Amino acid sequence: MIAALKRLGDHVLGRGEAAITVPIFDGALKPNQILEGAEVVAQVEGANDLASDGRRLLVADGKQIVELAGNGDRKEQARFDRIVTALCPLHDGGIAVALAGVEVRIEGGPSAGRSWAAAAGMPFHAVNAIACAPDGALVVSDGSQRYDTERWAHDLMDRGATGRVVRLDRQAAEGKELARRLEYAFGVCPAGAETMISESWRHRLLAIAPDGRRRVVLDRLPVYPSRVVAAAGGGFWLTAFAARTQLVEFVLRETTFRRRMMKEIAPEHWIAPRLRSGESYLEPMQGAHLRTMGVLKPWAPPRSYGLVIRLSAEGLPRYSLHSRVDGINHGIVAAAELGGFLYLLAKGPGRVLRLPLADLEKEARA
Amino acid sequence: MREAVLRLRYRFWPDHLLGEILSKRWTETAIPVIVLLLVAIAFSQVIPGFLSPNSLADTARQAAEVGFVVLGMALVIVVGGIDLSVGSMFALTDFCALFCLDVLNLPVPAVAVITVVFGAMLGAVNGFLIGYLRLRAFITTLITLIIYRSAYDLLLFDYSNTIAAAFPDDALWDFMGGGGVFGIPSVALLYAAVAIFGHIFMTRLRPGWHITAIGGSRRSAYNSGIAVRGTIARCYAASGALTAVGALFFAARLGTVGGDVGVGLEVTVLTAAVLGGISLGGGRGSVTRALVGTLIVLLITNGLTTLSVKGGVNRMVLAGILLVAATIDIRWLKNRTRIIAKVYVSPTYHDMPPLPGPRVGDGTRFAQNDRLKDVTLIGLGRIEAPEDVILDRHDNLYAGSRHGDIIRFFPPDYEKMEIYAHIGGQPLGMAFDRNDNLYVCIGGMGLYRITPDRKVEKATDETNRSFSSVNDDSRLRLADDLDITDDGRIFFSEATVRYEMHEWPVDGLEARGNGRIICYDPATNTTRTVLRGLKFPNGICVSRNGQSILFAETWGCCVKRYWFDGPKKGRVEMVMNNLPGFPDNINLSSDGNYWLALVGMRSPALDLAWRMPGFRRRMAKRVPLDEWLFPNINTGCVIKFNEAGEVLDTYWDMAGVNHPMITSMREHRGYLYLGGIMNNRIGRLKLEGADPAFVQYDYRWGKKP
Repeated sequence: MIAALKRLGDHVLGRGEAAITVPIFDGALKPNQILEGAEVVAQVEGANDLASDGRRLLVADGKQIVELAGNGDRKEQARFDRIVTALCPLHDGGIAVALAGVEVRIEGGPSAGRSWAAAAGMPFHAVNAIACAPDGALVVSDGSQRYDTERWAHDLMDRGATGRVVRLDRQAAEGKELARRLEYAFGVCPAGAETMISESWRHRLLAIAPDGRRRVVLDRLPVYPSRVVAAAGGGFWLTAFAARTQLVEFVLRETTFRRRMMKEIAPEHWIAPRLRSGESYLEPMQGAHLRTMGVLKPWAPPRSYGLVIRLSAEGLPRYSLHSRVDGINHGIVAAAELGGFLYLLAKGPGRVLRLPLADLEKEARA
Repeated sequence: MREAVLRLRYRFWPDHLLGEILSKRWTETAIPVIVLLLVAIAFSQVIPGFLSPNSLADTARQAAEVGFVVLGMALVIVVGGIDLSVGSMFALTDFCALFCLDVLNLPVPAVAVITVVFGAMLGAVNGFLIGYLRLRAFITTLITLIIYRSAYDLLLFDYSNTIAAAFPDDALWDFMGGGGVFGIPSVALLYAAVAIFGHIFMTRLRPGWHITAIGGSRRSAYNSGIAVRGTIARCYAASGALTAVGALFFAARLGTVGGDVGVGLEVTVLTAAVLGGISLGGGRGSVTRALVGTLIVLLITNGLTTLSVKGGVNRMVLAGILLVAATIDIRWLKNRTRIIAKVYVSPTYHDMPPLPGPRVGDGTRFAQNDRLKDVTLIGLGRIEAPEDVILDRHDNLYAGSRHGDIIRFFPPDYEKMEIYAHIGGQPLGMAFDRNDNLYVCIGGMGLYRITPDRKVEKATDETNRSFSSVNDDSRLRLADDLDITDDGRIFFSEATVRYEMHEWPVDGLEARGNGRIICYDPATNTTRTVLRGLKFPNGICVSRNGQSILFAETWGCCVKRYWFDGPKKGRVEMVMNNLPGFPDNINLSSDGNYWLALVGMRSPALDLAWRMPGFRRRMAKRVPLDEWLFPNINTGCVIKFNEAGEVLDTYWDMAGVNHPMITSMREHRGYLYLGGIMNNRIGRLKLEGADPAFVQYDYRWGKKP
């Protein structure tokens, strides 16, 4: 009773849960322009995912999977009838792909042709990341039961909490849910016996034990995390596809405005995080976006942002790579290490970027 | 349906008045007055005849006696102290008056003078200790309370019988004690006279201001050269004298000295002062508040006495009220500005038709293009915030800067620049009159004039105050753009009367018609407001017929025409409605049409927010200004339109790199010059097919070369 009254009071006064404070980029997340200065390897307009099997870099570009060389040369590996929303090279030489978010299929290798379309009695809807567990099983994240992968902003604005993480054994016909009712699961990564999950709308990284127990690894991020992959030297690369702003947090608490906005306004002009911004004057503008004396401040509230965080083996941030508000390498959704480089997929401008790992380590020590 | 209710609610319920009323100093007096009325009504309902003339006259007699003491207390509190010894002083001066009259048998005028001087001396003791020796007011007056009371008790022992036995027979003394004029008690008349003088003293005379200043901040007052110690000492002496006046009339009325005279009077008086709104922190108080507080306290005590409430309970009620009043006083004083800031911003319902969409190559005249991409830049990085630009017949280019200067660039390459005149405020719209005076609207200052020999003169900085406005709207807060009619009258816009220039986003959030158009007539040196309730009126241009002005309403996204002469005089007509952006300055073009700058473009999210005032109000409270949803003024364009309001041509800079913001444009000899209030540059664009001889104000005044 008292708790309910307190919540009501908080809501009226904008305190507690209803507060719209956003953590600042601080400590290991201190902004820099490293990501903005990254080398552009290739322009890939329709790319959704990128991964490496240790020998080659694979990019899911539209309906095809291409192998991308360091000089930007493309070689088609496979082509499908639907858009590839996630991919994962397997240890046995095959590639697991997610097609249009509704089907997970293995292409090549000994298990070629295996496919799954549902788990726990519910069909897949927005599969956006696949990882391979040490025992050979696949772990996939299914972002939302209501909106497909392209319409993630709808899920956020609808305060979606229908994400789940599913384990697919090669032999089983149906998957097993590891976690459900997640507020947009976007990224999985095996870490020992546990599975790391990034839960975007809760701005956190979870670790799920095989018995289903959840542990919060990283909390209160100033960004919406996307995929997470293991780094070669131990630890992980966590990418973030957008950053939080107080205005969006405020809009998320304004139900009537949100409903009307979703009904009356085109999604690209919503007050919502985007993968890229600044293209149209119809986009909402915030106070600090005002170009003064010809300069757009990099610290303005980000409508789109580029961020990659290097996590330690314990899941704590060690250092981070930024592309700030005045930059364009925004909407980072995937990372992969290959041949001494860190490859990144910036979905905002549709670019594959790369940075020499040795430089990054030096940067981290500095 | 809900939308219709919302619209009506915001049209007829004046939300903005609450903040304006609260920010007035007189609210702090108005609230005690309301309490007084409530108390009076409540008791008159319970007690029959409570407000009858007889009862009122009786109340007035007591009220005036106590009222004198409250005036003294108020004075001391305003100067930053407190006087707890008023009860004891009251008793001693009461004794003094009766002693002089009954024992020494002095004439009444001498009694009065001696009593008041005696009271002043008692108070002067406090004043000396607190003012000059700088003892704490609280402890000092507590001690004198005890000393004076003991003295009174000793004197009472010796003389009470003598005084009780005497029956002075003196007409003046009886008049003081029970007489009156037309039923108004004598003491009330004197009180009224003293109160009126006190009001003038506190609000109009130098010593009164000194007293308030010392109470507000003793150190600042000292640093400003006010004689702090002497003033404080005199205040205590005055408190004693005023107490003595009250005691004199008390003595005349009752003629007795008893052990309980003046006991607990300090609590009553203190309650009256605080309840009236005299802040215990010092520096805030008035005679009206002292009067209102006195009346409240007396009505309550008399009412409770009539209801046969026990004396102890009566006193307890008073103490309780004092506690509540003191709490409200301190909380209000601490949070006043925060509360006002929270309620002052009051967004309203602002509906606009669906957004028309100029798109690249959509075939209309509005279609986006990149014609401003190739403007040449003047003064890049050397001029900041040129809101308006203007050129004279010698091709000199003038522009304002945010440092409060008018900058002049020299032809032909506009590389060399100088400060033409320093004004001090941000220059906005500019125009030349027939005699080559440069008239400039200065944000926060008003309308100024720079003569050809570079002398800066104020034209006007105030207009007539409107009756319906709570805020004093006579001063000009944001004079924005102007133009001059054939007979020399100057019409200029004031964008908002509720905010300062740098607070324009808050006005945009409110989207209320806070702006107005004002006419200044140099011939008679008079300024009158001609139009009110406009949504951020901005650009102004006298139209070619010479009988009307075209003006832009930025948040209204429209251009209107106001007829100041001719058969349609006084009428306002719509010229361009539902623009896709926010119109700014308007100027003449050489081909007989008009230029209009769109400073920014509407966005669907803001259009929706403008229809949801509650959303904007909460945003204003919870989201910091830097993160507010703003009108998008990063992209703009220049359009050309004709007398009928049809768009003829558009100039865009789609990338927004070269010339991101346009607040004004001026055609001059085949070129278009662009200004922007957030820019550090002036743009210059070659116009195809424009009249190479066109100089706007030479053309305007018929001085064709």
